[in-house]
Amino acid sequence: MSDLRNAGKYYWHYLKKYWRGFILSAVLIGISTWCIVVAPTYLGRAVEALTTYLDQWLNPATRAQASLGTFNHTLVIYVLLYVGDAATIFMAGLILARVTAHSTGTMRVGLFRKMQRMRVKYFDTHSDGDILARFTSDLDNIFNAMNQALMEVLLAVAQFVGILIVMFNQNVTMAWVTMASTPVALIIAALVMRKAGTAVNQQQDDIGQLNGYINEQITGQKVLITNGLQQDSKRGFDKYNQRVRQSALTGQIWSGILNPLMQGMSLLNTAIVIFFGSWLALNGSLSKGAALALVVVFVNYAQQYYQPIMSLTSLYSMIQLAITGARRIDEVRDQPDEVNPVDGGRPDGIQRELKIDDVHFSYLPGKEILHGITINVQRGEMVALVGPTGSGKTTVMNLLNRFYDVDSGQITFDGVDIRTFDLKALRQNVGIVLQEPQLFTGTIADNIRYGQPEASMDRVIAAAKQANIHDFIESLPEKYATQVSDEQSIFSAGQKQLMSIARTILTNPRLLILDEATSNVDTVTEAKIQAAMDNVIQGRTSFVIAHRLKTILNADKIVVLKDGAIIEQGSHEALLAENGFYAELYRNQMVFD
Amino acid sequence: MKILMPYFKRYHVDVSIALLSVLVLVFATLWQPRLLQVVMTAIIKNDQQTVLREGILLLGLAVLGIAGGVINTIYSARVALGVATDLRADMYAKIQSFAYADVETFSASNLVVRMTNDINQVQQIVMAAFQQITRVPLLFIGALILAIVTMPEQWWVILVMMLVILLASWVAVRRMTTYFAETQQDIENVNTVTRENLMGIRVVKSFVQETNEISKFSQASDQLTAVTAKIGYWFSILMPIFFLTANLAVGVAVYLVGQNITAHPAYLAAITSFVAYLMQILYAVINGGFLMTFASRAFISIGRISEVLVTQPSMTYVASEDETPLTGEITFDHVTFTYPGDTQPTLRDISFKTTAGAMLGIVGATGSGKTTLAQLIARLYDPDSGHIMIGGVDVRQIPEKRLRATVAYVLQRSTLFSGTIAGNLKQVRPDAQVSHMQWAANVAQASEFIERLPQTYDAPVEERSQNFSGGQKQRLAITRGIIANPEILILDDATSALDARSEKLVQEAMDRDLKSTTTVVIAEKIASIIRADQILVLDAGRISGSGTHQQLLQSNPIYQAIYQTQKAREEAVK
Repeated sequence: MSDLRNAGKYYWHYLKKYWRGFILSAVLIGISTWCIVVAPTYLGRAVEALTTYLDQWLNPATRAQASLGTFNHTLVIYVLLYVGDAATIFMAGLILARVTAHSTGTMRVGLFRKMQRMRVKYFDTHSDGDILARFTSDLDNIFNAMNQALMEVLLAVAQFVGILIVMFNQNVTMAWVTMASTPVALIIAALVMRKAGTAVNQQQDDIGQLNGYINEQITGQKVLITNGLQQDSKRGFDKYNQRVRQSALTGQIWSGILNPLMQGMSLLNTAIVIFFGSWLALNGSLSKGAALALVVVFVNYAQQYYQPIMSLTSLYSMIQLAITGARRIDEVRDQPDEVNPVDGGRPDGIQRELKIDDVHFSYLPGKEILHGITINVQRGEMVALVGPTGSGKTTVMNLLNRFYDVDSGQITFDGVDIRTFDLKALRQNVGIVLQEPQLFTGTIADNIRYGQPEASMDRVIAAAKQANIHDFIESLPEKYATQVSDEQSIFSAGQKQLMSIARTILTNPRLLILDEATSNVDTVTEAKIQAAMDNVIQGRTSFVIAHRLKTILNADKIVVLKDGAIIEQGSHEALLAENGFYAELYRNQMVFD
Repeated sequence: MKILMPYFKRYHVDVSIALLSVLVLVFATLWQPRLLQVVMTAIIKNDQQTVLREGILLLGLAVLGIAGGVINTIYSARVALGVATDLRADMYAKIQSFAYADVETFSASNLVVRMTNDINQVQQIVMAAFQQITRVPLLFIGALILAIVTMPEQWWVILVMMLVILLASWVAVRRMTTYFAETQQDIENVNTVTRENLMGIRVVKSFVQETNEISKFSQASDQLTAVTAKIGYWFSILMPIFFLTANLAVGVAVYLVGQNITAHPAYLAAITSFVAYLMQILYAVINGGFLMTFASRAFISIGRISEVLVTQPSMTYVASEDETPLTGEITFDHVTFTYPGDTQPTLRDISFKTTAGAMLGIVGATGSGKTTLAQLIARLYDPDSGHIMIGGVDVRQIPEKRLRATVAYVLQRSTLFSGTIAGNLKQVRPDAQVSHMQWAANVAQASEFIERLPQTYDAPVEERSQNFSGGQKQRLAITRGIIANPEILILDDATSALDARSEKLVQEAMDRDLKSTTTVVIAEKIASIIRADQILVLDAGRISGSGTHQQLLQSNPIYQAIYQTQKAREEAVK
């Protein structure tokens, strides 16, 4: 139920500005429905007129009075009603198509805007695939439902109401006869839909498990082949495959049976109407012409009567998906934004010192990662963070430009807490070299000037030169105009890091955080990275998160983290002399026995 | 479509019942207006008897229709599920017979899509085929014939109606096809921007590019919106035109009946049934259009499935169930290898030989061919030229089971499969007792953390082994590699996530417990292979040097360079 409320809230937010369009199309659909339900009565009247005409014509006494005037006149109205129906439906369709396209477009952009405002934590705790699915399948489901269901639901409801009204206007007895089978149909529909619901859920679960198995096994095909496990894998597969066969059979039958059942009910209903109608015609007090007309008209209604119920049941799963989709997107909309102080200060680099002051931090409440870290950095100093995986090195980076905020303690630039700065201004002062930089679709030049799209080509080339990637770019056929995307691999892992350095050099940040690449690179590239790092660090206050000790031997200060606490601090020589954890680490990595 | 035929044959009983029930359903649908006409005639003639008889017949016909529909659904589902299940099983068996090169040619993720989405498409189209596709043409032809029989003079009204509808569809579909192609492109653009922003959210934020990214996205999104709206407009006009045409046809037909009613008084009773048949023709045409677009998608899927099924494995083994392992002697004799699809060979003229029980180290830059060389030992690929021999036998002459019993291959990312630790180990060695597992885990330095798990060896392994850390995963993979006590053990960067101390312990344990096993160690760190009996230095696919650590340090410049980057600055700390 809360699903429905959240979905309602979501749709209200995005659809309320289209209220004029909705009202107009509802009116148009009302008119069209009126045309459709009234039209059969004119066909009936035409038949009635024709019967009278024939009777008069067949009777020599009245043949002279016989005229087709009423018949022709009625038929013209009949046709005009359908013209009116087509015209109004067309206009309603135009309006709704426009509303659908534009509102889902707004939803899409809205979701993207939200994404840009959300905290990094959300992205770290949700898989990319899951978030992407909200842009693709969830928005798709919403679009499909609006595109098809919106019109059909409006039509179905209007038609149903319209048919009821007209039927009772025409003949109360026949109206009741037409409706007589409704409770049976509704009960059948409800039962079948409930059965189908559970059966399809079971089917989806089993399919999910089968697909999971297939994915795991085929992705691990190398392991299967090298261990000779193919037969084993086939046996495992058969188990899942047969299970899917069973549950999908039940699922398909229950979900597929509703339509033929409803169609059958419609046939049955028509038969009932004909049966009673003809009985009424023969035993009632009506004239033969009127009775015949009554049968004609109600056969038509009997056939139409189940249409709305049928379209609603066939739209059920589509609407269900759209509700789920809206709920999932609404979940994202409810996520907290990044905290940005009003009228925040604009830092101008670090004049004297940066201080990390007794910082405690946890990603998850109750599971503290950093236990009171204090680091003082003077302007222009290079600090290296060293420690085993999970010691908290990367976390420090996350705090310095406020991807996350500290639990307690503070980080200050010249004594001012960074949380008081304007968020964007702070980040413009802090440059980060990531080990796996995201490349964006566009040219190499665009990627280097990512932080300052208006930067001149000269500055792009200068940055690339300092980052030691210029020669490689020049060796490409289209040089700086080469198109890159994240999927094609023009760059090796090491070269990607060089691109990341170039990007950062161009924005000329005052404080630099460099996350050294862990991936293995060959010796030539490694030397280039080393030189590029030296270039970018030159004259800047910098933090280097080091994985290879080789790169940080010249740091002004090496901070050794272990399990979220600083265990050693000092220069390379001092720490070696201390002969503690760092010295052990260094010997392990760098010394061959 | 041909590829599905054998599967349909397998379910011929279900197929026949499904088709028969469609006929029943169609008959019931088409005959009802006919009976109605009889009833109407009877009413005009005041014939109570006929009305009652035909009325009961009508009810019976309706019940028959329901029964036909239900039976049809059940048997269509049986056929669809049978075909899909068998097709999936055959496809999976086919993939399992593939050589690794075949898997790579298709790409694993692509194969997964074919096994899941494409099979699903086929299942749906088969279901629809027996539910709808056979019904639509039958209904169409039946309704057409009956309409003409009912009022033979009006055949041209039907013809004009159909022509107008087809013309309108043709114009609209042509326009919409171009728009649909545009939509695909626009969707892709939107998804690309989204994906890049998701993966690079830290880059976007740290370079403060949120506003630019939003405008980039809005641009892509607005294009999509515009095209979607256009498609919507075309759809909006299509349906009203269909129905208007059909109803105009009804109007014209009824008008003509009226003008000639004195000549054909019987037509008075036929009007309603004629209208019903016209509407059925219209519905058949509309449904046919939908089914055609649906079927065209399924045909693409069928094509993609048959691509897999007709692929012959690019590598075959000598037929034999022989499982006795060979000795661990490895010989490469002038081996050159090119990856399928590449123009340049990855390995050139590689020759070396190791004795059984020796340790072979392989070092070299990324892309120098280390992993490729190891994969050739495990016969994941066959060389272009030259020979690879294990225990003196050419690998191409070794039966598959014998080869797998001889060679164990541990990959850098060789995750375990979901299940339990013991389950994974037993896959490789079905008779493994706890004592065997403990032995292997001891060697791989995995026992200390396995035994701390509440269920020890029966502890669950999640998908992608994500409930274990990188180092734990590697140690588990090594445990699996050695549990069958192979003659040859390949460790392809398999200790990269282990710290130096654990790595040393693994090597010492292997020296002790796997004396007769030939170990091939591929490593980035010289420390991992420093104690090897023989080290190969690879450079751009060639052997640049071969010897012990000390020998290479003296003679090989590439080895010296690698050593330099990993060596301490101070000789003093040694």
